[in-house]
Amino acid sequence: MERSFKKEVTTLRLGDGDMFHGEGILGVTKALLQSGVSYVGGYQGAPISHLMDVLSDAEPLLDDLGIHFEVCANEASAAAMLAASVNYPIRGAVTWKSVVGTNVASDGLSNLASAGVKGGALIVVGEDYGEGSSIIQERTHAFAMKSSMCLLDPRPELPTITRMVEEAFNLSEASNMPAMLELRIRACHVYGHFDAKDNVHPLYSRNNKIPEAEFDFSRVCLPPATYSQEKHKIEHRLPAAIKYIAENNLNERFDGDVPEVGIIVQGGVYNTLMRALRQFGLADSYGNCRISTLVMNVTYPIVPDEIAEFCVGKDSVLVVEEGQPEFIEQAINAILRKKDVNTKIIGKDVFPMAGEYTSEVMLKGVHGFLAKHAPSGLNIDTVLEEIDQLFSDRDDAREILGDGLPLRTPSFCTGCPERPIFSALKIMEKELGPAHISADIGCHTFAALPPFNVGNTVMGYGLGLASSAGLAPNFHKRVISIMGDGGFWHNGMSSGVAAAQANGNDAVLLVVKNGYTSATGWQLLPSSLRDRSGNKRDMSIEKVLRGFGVRWLKTVRTYSIASMVKTLRKAMTTAEGGLKVIIADGECQLARQRRIRPEVAKRLKEGKRDVRTRFGVDEDVCTGDHSCIRLSGCPSLTIKPSSDPLRTDPVAHVNNDCVGCGVCGEVSHAAVLCPSFFEARIVRNPNLFDRLLWKTRIGVIALLSPKMPTVAS
Amino acid sequence: MSKLDDIRPITLQVSAIGGEGGGVLATWIVAAAQRAGYPVQSTSIPGVAQRTGATVYYIEVFPVSIADLGGKRPVMALYPGVGDIDIMLASEFAEAGRAISNGFVTPDRTHLIASTHRVYAIGERSDMADGRYDVERLHMAARERTKHAYLADLRQVAQGRGVSLNAILFGVLAGVGQLPMAVEDYKGAIEDSGIAIGPNIEGFEIGLNFSFSDEPEKVDHNSKEHDVGYTMPEKLRARVHSEFPEVCQTIFLEAVTRLTGYQDIAYAEGYLDRLSAVLNAENMAGGDGDVTAEAGRQLALRMSYEDVIRVAQLKSAGDRMDRIREEVGAKEGEPIVVVDYLKPGIDELCSVLPAGLGRWLMSLAERQGWRDRSNFGLHLKSTTVTGYLRLRLLAGLRRWRRGTYRYSEEQASIETWLEDVKVALTVDQRLAMETVECARLIKGYGDTHRRGTENYTAIREQVIAPALGGAMAADLATDAVANARAAALSDPEGTRLGDVLAEISKATMGSAAE
Repeated sequence: MERSFKKEVTTLRLGDGDMFHGEGILGVTKALLQSGVSYVGGYQGAPISHLMDVLSDAEPLLDDLGIHFEVCANEASAAAMLAASVNYPIRGAVTWKSVVGTNVASDGLSNLASAGVKGGALIVVGEDYGEGSSIIQERTHAFAMKSSMCLLDPRPELPTITRMVEEAFNLSEASNMPAMLELRIRACHVYGHFDAKDNVHPLYSRNNKIPEAEFDFSRVCLPPATYSQEKHKIEHRLPAAIKYIAENNLNERFDGDVPEVGIIVQGGVYNTLMRALRQFGLADSYGNCRISTLVMNVTYPIVPDEIAEFCVGKDSVLVVEEGQPEFIEQAINAILRKKDVNTKIIGKDVFPMAGEYTSEVMLKGVHGFLAKHAPSGLNIDTVLEEIDQLFSDRDDAREILGDGLPLRTPSFCTGCPERPIFSALKIMEKELGPAHISADIGCHTFAALPPFNVGNTVMGYGLGLASSAGLAPNFHKRVISIMGDGGFWHNGMSSGVAAAQANGNDAVLLVVKNGYTSATGWQLLPSSLRDRSGNKRDMSIEKVLRGFGVRWLKTVRTYSIASMVKTLRKAMTTAEGGLKVIIADGECQLARQRRIRPEVAKRLKEGKRDVRTRFGVDEDVCTGDHSCIRLSGCPSLTIKPSSDPLRTDPVAHVNNDCVGCGVCGEVSHAAVLCPSFFEARIVRNPNLFDRLLWKTRIGVIALLSPKMPTVAS
Repeated sequence: MSKLDDIRPITLQVSAIGGEGGGVLATWIVAAAQRAGYPVQSTSIPGVAQRTGATVYYIEVFPVSIADLGGKRPVMALYPGVGDIDIMLASEFAEAGRAISNGFVTPDRTHLIASTHRVYAIGERSDMADGRYDVERLHMAARERTKHAYLADLRQVAQGRGVSLNAILFGVLAGVGQLPMAVEDYKGAIEDSGIAIGPNIEGFEIGLNFSFSDEPEKVDHNSKEHDVGYTMPEKLRARVHSEFPEVCQTIFLEAVTRLTGYQDIAYAEGYLDRLSAVLNAENMAGGDGDVTAEAGRQLALRMSYEDVIRVAQLKSAGDRMDRIREEVGAKEGEPIVVVDYLKPGIDELCSVLPAGLGRWLMSLAERQGWRDRSNFGLHLKSTTVTGYLRLRLLAGLRRWRRGTYRYSEEQASIETWLEDVKVALTVDQRLAMETVECARLIKGYGDTHRRGTENYTAIREQVIAPALGGAMAADLATDAVANARAAALSDPEGTRLGDVLAEISKATMGSAAE
């Protein structure tokens, strides 16, 4: 990772009496230190990457406290790391993006949850559900339920989030259950403040090691211990958790003055609910609300008495629960039924079953509830009409704008080394016909969006090659699988490469190697050239592949589109069976720019010679058919109105963001598109030779240039 | 429960495009509010949108300072609410439109600050012709659906002054005065960030003092044509003025200049001769010159088809070096090397061979399948003496152009097209206009050109020709041509065109059977 988090690290040192300002996920990081963790690990992914990034820059602080920080190979490794808390009273935390990370981790998690923990074990999951999410849409909630782990879903403000991190450890220790704390995307990125506390030196740590090994068969996941573990969950752990939650008021109750109705809400969506209620005139900006509210900062396990007490005497209660299935609503209904409380529960009848609870969804859901269940004393009718009016006004605005507001999908950055791979694939497809592409997770997944529309399936991180295993033998031509270097190290080398080799599969694998896990924030990989301290590393993908017995192995520089097309063609048509691997090599351009920009600035300042390359389009040669854009999609390759009065269509244009990667020129070259592109090399701080050569050239060219009017009239 | 309080946070959204500094702007706003002692909360969903997608940053500032709150904490929202936004800051115009469309800009509350430049989305850029969204809609929505709109092409201002756009927007925000912070707090936020302080303060000041006009700016994109190295022969100018109606003149004068430079005066005269014939036909049909004007525009483009000679001509034009230097931002005294990416093949070779030889070689290449495989890559350094000389030599082939294979092909195709236009004028003016417009399909180079020509030919043979032969009613035919053309421009593979043509032929047969 090229970005430095030194500034954020200093906030982790704050103590009693200081005010912490920062993002939610940094607040969580600080709270871990305040809770006395001994070890932290995880696998990067939005929105929790910063937790990892900051800790990996915080070495001196971690040394002081004796905390071990581990960059795990994948989420399964991270989950397994929590095994430390099974036998010993030490606290540990791991983090990942959910639900995908939880899926990967679930083997370790099930075993951890079955064994139970002695020291507090916390899993911080970034609940990537809703707008801006990059993954499949599922809730983490089911994992907590099926494995008997506590699930915390705090109100999205820093004091509550950090308090819940500390409480999660207590809860975990009180119940022997691992605890999960879920933070939605916006909560991870929320910038706010809280009163910091001193960091706590853990009881056992790198600085004070655990003195003795413990053997306790009841904590080994092997029958018959597993049977008693399952019972222990029900008989001991869950009741202990429920007791702790109730006694320490982890859930919060805010009473209003309207006796007939109430609202039970997941902590994470509380602020959105309050805003909607304010829009209805039922709450103010400080959270004072006329309708009583029960905020579940712990959504699993549920405290039955708390629910019953809240509901009893009310006609109807709204349950605000994001996502599906509606586990909480079902549980509440069951609790009330058993306790014979006859309050009507309204939930998914007024809220959508699927999808994120944005402000708009909340407004409409609350509207639906109030319209039907608001007591007449509330006099809500005018307000309901006002809210209706908001939406019909918006329809008017949409009328003006029409349907064509351009969509802005994510794509490859300017100069991205992955773009030319897909240009090459498109060119190859023109020649050999459409191919089936098993895509993978990473920036390269964006190839499935315009302008490339390449990639038929995405089955999971590192699973590009594995996901071809069933199709390849049944398909009329070779299937192409894609895998990033991130996915390769995460699991792809075993789930994909080793398996394909062992099965003798005839397969084509394209490994996209850009040197980082770029999509998650440029974290380093085992195959990155250098580690964080700048020391050289010696773990290469090539070596692994050779070691696995891959014979057909070519490394191609991604920007050389012509040779990429050639190599792809060869891989698709060669008579040789077995696995054919193409390593598409090109450093992430964002990381590269971040690395070289200061270097270039320094060179220029020192008066040293530097050549800057940029591409351009001859406007009068371009005919405005934009096929170059359809094969490239580079953000800096755009259009501009033609200055030629005879042409109405806009012409292609390279804007100032161009980093000179040359893909546009290469594409138009490889696909034989047009002669409009030129490359300009600008010599800055030219030396004497440069200047003389330039003078000579422009002198001669001026002589050869076409002369002004020789045309007689 | 205490009584409900009226005070509410001031809500603000920054709508930006991934990778363009929306995050920095949001950070400054938060820092300014924090310096001034107000509770502030911001959040974002950059995620994958960081990669060129639409990004939003949502900020709330509570207008009572932390000190005055006495321990009370406002509950701030993490989502912008429909009808609940005070300030919308859009760093690009279509993003302002998106915010309006989402209901985050409303006439009762929202101050919209937007830069009116466009960053074209991929759908707009990759369109085969012109897929740009109509900015007039954005202007109209911004006028009608805001409490106040502050609109200007601030990117242009930023580029002109060498500062960043987000610094200017930050200054505009301070100037609009809807947030409780003082100018010093804003500046302090930039200073505290410690990055590019000088330029960012300069940008901030520009924004702070920017005067917005209430009238939307009109941008004239058809700025002046660059020097083509030839001036207009006087007799041709006189002829354009005397022979053709007003509506044709600007286009024709431009065309005559271009074609004289492209070939010679006689060629430009030939252009006017052709159009005289079209105008005659149009006059007889009772038209007022619209068809002729559009035919003139298309004809100029068709007659200045881009063969090797033309490309060499343009790439060695006298003012090209200066244009490139300006475009790539080369400073005074910085030498540049320009490398042109050329990849000539059989098509290009034949285009300059004598007609007979070219035709023979082309049909041979077609039979042998050489056309796709014969290209050789050429990275021509046109700023070197030898590179430039090669371009000039190629451009010099102009003298022999009339004898080339490509010339004979192009002229024949042009004649057929003009003939169609003239016949169409006797049938229906709208049909004639549609026929004229079809010339738009033939453009580009290599594959693109070939595909365009094929599409044009298909439409001509399956729709235009039957229509002119009376096999289809004029109305039906006009729509059919328009539909077919739109289909041809909708996907590069020609799938839609195939479908549309099939439908048309079914409809024609149906009506013939009746």
